[in-house]
Amino acid sequence: MSNNKLKLLTDELDNKSLSTGTGLTIELIEGDNSDDVSVAQILVEGREELPIYMTVDEGQILCITYLWHEREVKSGMRADLMDVLLTLNVSVPLSAFSKIGNQYIIYGALSPDSNVNDVLLEIEVLSDNALEAIETVSEFLNEE
Amino acid sequence: MNILKKLISAIRGGANEVGEAVVDTQAIRILEQEMRDARTELDKAKTSLTEIMAEKMGIERKVTELGKSIAEHEGYVEKALEKGDEALALEVAEKIADSENELMIQQGILDGYANKVENLKHLINTTERNMKAMEREISIVKTTEKVQKANEMASAKFSGSDSSLRSAKESLERITQRQRKREDQTKAAMDLDIETGDQALESKLEQAGILADKTSASAVLARIKAKK
Repeated sequence: MSNNKLKLLTDELDNKSLSTGTGLTIELIEGDNSDDVSVAQILVEGREELPIYMTVDEGQILCITYLWHEREVKSGMRADLMDVLLTLNVSVPLSAFSKIGNQYIIYGALSPDSNVNDVLLEIEVLSDNALEAIETVSEFLNEE
Repeated sequence: MNILKKLISAIRGGANEVGEAVVDTQAIRILEQEMRDARTELDKAKTSLTEIMAEKMGIERKVTELGKSIAEHEGYVEKALEKGDEALALEVAEKIADSENELMIQQGILDGYANKVENLKHLINTTERNMKAMEREISIVKTTEKVQKANEMASAKFSGSDSSLRSAKESLERITQRQRKREDQTKAAMDLDIETGDQALESKLEQAGILADKTSASAVLARIKAKK
């Protein structure tokens, strides 16, 4: 049922673009069985390096972007980075920082009743926030 | 242990593994088993709630009947007294006293049942809420696992080998370069627009004879000769 909602949203997103006119490429990665979670991969034109992953479950719509891996954090600066992220968290509009495994992520959660325009705004803001976040904390990250 | 703690250990357990799995699937399976157990318990609680409510209704009926019977017999006592039959009045009064004692006992049982029903309803509500929260958490863990897999797949497909090793800074660099290039192109296109616009205006002015013709060699020669 949640996967149906995701399918519906991705179909609607397919011919939309962001307020800046930037195009989107969407690919639905369906679960292996009916119990499995489906994920939509959303590529923002010109920012293909930072894909957005969208999932829907009973409680929420999640949009997630991967930022950097734990190994990219300069040695000895992990605590400082954490402090900055935690402090920034409130002031970043609509998005929040988190971790999945060893990956730092930025994500936004929406009500499962959200419509396609809510999702579009989320994608636009999340994409901007992801870029800005990397720029902001780049002093804590290794070059390679 | 609360649900969040269990989830954290499930996620950490997964992250510490050598493989790419984010979630300790074994831990999730255990959580799901616990959910199933909780659901069985919940079903049991619901069944006993129905039973208790049925029993409570039976006792409510008894209490009403006793109340009616007492009122009815009080009428009989009055009538017996009106007729001056003291002995009959006393006999009926004894029956009323018995009924009143029985009513007290039944009322006590009824109150007890009402309490039980309240408690059970509360328990069922809380359990249902907890289970919903637990379901949500498990769903989130499964979701993040799926997203992780999708990201690995995508980065492998996206730009070939070593792509998953590409750093955030490199990505940022590529994206901003691309943006700058696009901005430059836009600016160049705009400049070109303005230039061609200017040219078009100039030639119109020339044609109209407002702007002087382009300097020609003969004009230069004529000017220099004139200076002498």
